[in-house]
Amino acid sequence: MMAATVDFVEADNAEAIISRIEHKSRKIESLLKQSRPVEALKTALEGSPPNTRDERCKSANWIVVHRAIMAIKDLDALFSSLDPEYYDILMKYLYRGLSTGDRPTCDQCLRIHERLTERAGLGCILRSLADTMNTV
Amino acid sequence: MAAVAVHQFAPCITCHAWSPDRSMVAFCPNNSEVHIYKLSEDKWEQAHILQKHDQIVSGIDWSSRANRIVTVSHDRNSYVWNYEGSEWVPTLVILRLNRAALCVQWSPQENKFAVGSGAKTVCICYYEQENNWWVSKLIRKRHNSSVTSVAWHPNNILLATTSTDGKCRVFSTFIKGVDTRDSKAGSSSDSKFGQQILQLDLSFSWAFGVNWSPSGNTLAYVGHSSTIYFVDDVGPSPLAQNVAFRDLPLRDVLFISEKVVIGVGFDCNPMVFAADESGMWSFVRFLGERKTSSTGPKYGSQFSEAFGKLYGQSKHGINNDGVDNSRQRGGVHENCITCIVPLGEAGSSTITRFSTSGLDGKVVIWDLESQQDLLEYL
Repeated sequence: MMAATVDFVEADNAEAIISRIEHKSRKIESLLKQSRPVEALKTALEGSPPNTRDERCKSANWIVVHRAIMAIKDLDALFSSLDPEYYDILMKYLYRGLSTGDRPTCDQCLRIHERLTERAGLGCILRSLADTMNTV
Repeated sequence: MAAVAVHQFAPCITCHAWSPDRSMVAFCPNNSEVHIYKLSEDKWEQAHILQKHDQIVSGIDWSSRANRIVTVSHDRNSYVWNYEGSEWVPTLVILRLNRAALCVQWSPQENKFAVGSGAKTVCICYYEQENNWWVSKLIRKRHNSSVTSVAWHPNNILLATTSTDGKCRVFSTFIKGVDTRDSKAGSSSDSKFGQQILQLDLSFSWAFGVNWSPSGNTLAYVGHSSTIYFVDDVGPSPLAQNVAFRDLPLRDVLFISEKVVIGVGFDCNPMVFAADESGMWSFVRFLGERKTSSTGPKYGSQFSEAFGKLYGQSKHGINNDGVDNSRQRGGVHENCITCIVPLGEAGSSTITRFSTSGLDGKVVIWDLESQQDLLEYL
C-alpha cells in the first residue's frame, strides 16, 4: 500500500465538493426520516474532505455531520455497527463540536466522546490532535 | 515477567548506552553530565562522571568494538571519549551546528557517527588519521525541521532520519577515503554524500524513533499520532504500512528480529508489533503487566480524574485506590520511556534482551526468554 503525498484541492474544485455535500445532505435527511441515524452518520462521515484548505467545504461538511450527530439517540446501536475506520474522523468532528460551545452540541459530543474513547482508545484522540494537516 | 532488572539511577534519564561487555551503563541524569555505573556483585556503583558539556546531554552511544563513547548535547557540541588508563578522555568534535544536537549513533563499522540536530541538519563525523581529529560533514538540505532520530543501515552507508516535519528520509553518507565502493551493493554505493535516496510522507505529525531491521530490508518509525510506520523494500518502490494503535504515542522503536518490533513511549510499557507470514504488521501486546484492577478505573487514576471532570460524572471520580496507583500506567516504568537499546551481540539478527530508560529515571532490562508466545514470532 503505497502512501502518496497529500494533494490539496484547489478552490475551483471546492464547488464540486460543496455540491457533493449538498447531495449527501439530502440522502442524510431521508435516512433520518427512516429512523436510521447510524447510517446517516456514516454517510455524513464518508468522503469528508480533510485534504482541502477551503473553509467553506469544511464548514459545509460540518453542518451535515452535526445534523447526523445530533440525531443519534442510541449509543449502543451506534458503536455496534460503526466500522472502526470511521473512528478517527468521528473523533475529529467531536472535537469540532466541542469547540462550538453550544450546550446541546457539547452535551451530545461529550456523550459520544466517552464511548468512542472506550472503544478506540487514547490513540484516537491523539490522532485527532496531532494531525494538523487533515483538519475538519 | 519480561522485566528482569529494574534500577532507579536518577530522578530522570534522557538517554543511556551500554559498555561492550554490558557490565557498565552510561546515562545522562537530565543534566550536563554523563554518569557511568558499574555492576559489581549485584550492586550498581558509580564508576565515572563525564563532565564536559554545558547543557543537557541528549544522546550517548557506546561503540562495542572500539569501546568509545560519543556524546552530544544541547550545547551544540559532541565529544568522543576514549578510555585511557583509568580515565575517560574527551576529544571535542566540532559539529558546526547553530542549534542543539538531539541524537547520535555510531555506524555499524564504528568509523563514523551521525548526529541529528535542531538546526535541521545531520552531521556525519569520521576520523581523519593525518590530523588526529574528527571531521564533521553536514547534510544541510531537505529537512524542514529538527531531526529527532537517526539510524544506520547495516551497510554503513545509508542513514535514515526522522524529523518533526513528519517525514522519514534515507540518505547516502558515502565518504571517499572512509567507505569503499561495493560493486555488489548496487545503487546505494553509487550515490554521493548527502544524496537523498527516499522520502516517506506517511506521517502528518512529528516523527520519532527510526530503526532498520537486521537485514536492512525494512524500516520502522513512529509518528506522534499514535501510529507506527513499517516500510518494506526500502528503495525506488517501497511498500508502506501504517499501523494505528489504541494507546499513547511511541518515542522509540527497536527491531528485535526481522519480524518483531518493540515500541516504547508514553504508555510507559513496551509494545510488541509483529509481521505475519504475508508481511502484514500489527500490534501483538504490551510487554509489561498493565495495572488494571477489576473494579478500577479504565485508564488509571490520573486519566480517570480528568475524564471524570470532562464527562461531569462522579462515577469516574472515585479513585481511592491508594497513592501507589496514582501515577502508574504501565507498571515497571512510571513515566514516559524515551530510549530503547539492544543488549545482544552487535550485528546479530535476533535480540531477546534489551533495555529501556525513561523520564522516571529508571533503566529496565527486559528479557523475552520467558515470553513463550512472543518467541514464536521471532
